[in-house]
Amino acid sequence: MPLAALEISGLNKRFGGVPATRDASLCVMAGERRLIIGPNGAGKTTLFNLVTGDLSPDSGSVRLFGQEILNLPTRRRVHLGLARTYQILTLFATETFAQNVVLALLGLRAARWNPWSSLAANRALHRTACEMLLQVGLGDSADRIVAQASYGDRRRLELAMALAQNPRVLLLDEPLAGLSQEERQIVRRLLDGIPRGVTIVMIEHDMDTALAFAERISVLHHGEVIVEGTRAEVVANPRTKEVYLGE
Amino acid sequence: MSLNILVGLGGMVSLGHAAYLGVAAYTDAWLVTNAGVDTLSAAFLAIAVTTAMAALFGLLALRAAGLGFVMITLALAQILWGLGYRWADLTGGDNGIRLASRPVPFGIDLASPTHFYYFALVICSLAFVCLWRLAYSPFGASLRGARDQPRRMRMLGHHVWMVRWIAFIMAGFWGSIAGLLFIYYNQFIHPHSLSLQQSAEALLMVILGGANTFLGPIVGALIITLVKNVASSYVDRWNSLLGLIFVVVVLFMPQGIVPGLKFRWTQFTRRGRKVFVAAPAPPSP
Repeated sequence: MPLAALEISGLNKRFGGVPATRDASLCVMAGERRLIIGPNGAGKTTLFNLVTGDLSPDSGSVRLFGQEILNLPTRRRVHLGLARTYQILTLFATETFAQNVVLALLGLRAARWNPWSSLAANRALHRTACEMLLQVGLGDSADRIVAQASYGDRRRLELAMALAQNPRVLLLDEPLAGLSQEERQIVRRLLDGIPRGVTIVMIEHDMDTALAFAERISVLHHGEVIVEGTRAEVVANPRTKEVYLGE
Repeated sequence: MSLNILVGLGGMVSLGHAAYLGVAAYTDAWLVTNAGVDTLSAAFLAIAVTTAMAALFGLLALRAAGLGFVMITLALAQILWGLGYRWADLTGGDNGIRLASRPVPFGIDLASPTHFYYFALVICSLAFVCLWRLAYSPFGASLRGARDQPRRMRMLGHHVWMVRWIAFIMAGFWGSIAGLLFIYYNQFIHPHSLSLQQSAEALLMVILGGANTFLGPIVGALIITLVKNVASSYVDRWNSLLGLIFVVVVLFMPQGIVPGLKFRWTQFTRRGRKVFVAAPAPPSP
């Protein structure tokens, strides 16, 4: 039986009186490409925040390769192989592209505690960072400052940083948002090139790319997983239409 | 400079930095005067006690961020200040503690001003080198990252709290070194050194010179000390002069003097280049 990479069950989170996640359950197999869709405010990003530990749920369970991670702090979950990109970009704006990736690489290395050695002199780390940038098509941007870069380039930097962590489970929060048609193609090829050892869960509104990419789809509505299945199953399900087109 | 680890690199504004200087100075003075400990052991003990105290204070202060952090550091420092005044058996209260003479570490007689100058210079250079290395080290990068994007840093696997705590302890350590230099120089410690005014002055030095730059705190310290010691012998209202400097800096160089001057300089040279070369702007891609 294939192993479940990410198993969410009975997850609940309320903000004040408003339920953001209601008894959400989903199970993503190792190597799977899963798409999460749903109207605005359906609780998609909240679900990611619960999985990464940015938020803590009221009840429920989240397992990463069978291990309960809800009681672990974010950084420990990351060391177990979890990585994500943010919908709202959170980059180190005054640093260079390469430096951003270096910080991502440092996060999983013991060298991050070193207060004496020179970071700039660590050529190996810098080289790995440049390779990661090359992978997302930003090979010539290593020395550019993030604040001066275009939105599309920053999005791809987000992706490079997540990939630099060599994750086992990658959560992508709208990786295509705000990209030009041309940039979408690049990111799409990039996503297709990610090896199967990485399980990917993606929130995305660009249906052409998302549907082509994903094997299974979960539809979230009012914090609940209301439909789950293959592309054909989800499209055929009347509840999907209900959510998206109104009754 | 010690405070700049927190404010500049770590983005943690502390209003209690006099505590470390004061406690190190008090510990050293008390050990030498009342317990008869020799100079070197007293110095080491003073550093150890102060650094341990920073570790404890860090545990308390880092429970909060932003304004809460400021208030906790302030409160902790005020407790020590109160102790300095009231616990007269230990601290001599308002009388302070007087060191009989400057110490003679490694056979160097610090009573001579020249010797003391070079002693202080060596220590300061050492601190400068260590903090310089820190700023460009992986740990320094983590600390800056934790300042700018703590949430993202966690998501990259960094231990944000631990990074901040270690920075807090480092700041305490260098504060204790400053405390030792202080007690060796003045041979006297009074609760005033623990007061809010001292902490605020240190913070102003950092902000005036420019936090997060290397020379910033040094420039700030230089200006404040100069105005205090030199200008005050010519004009009565040197406090107003200091205030005026602050206003000018805040208005024209809100980042502080060093970044401000740097910015003006690049602006100036860029304008110069344009005049001489008048290169056409490259077409935007």
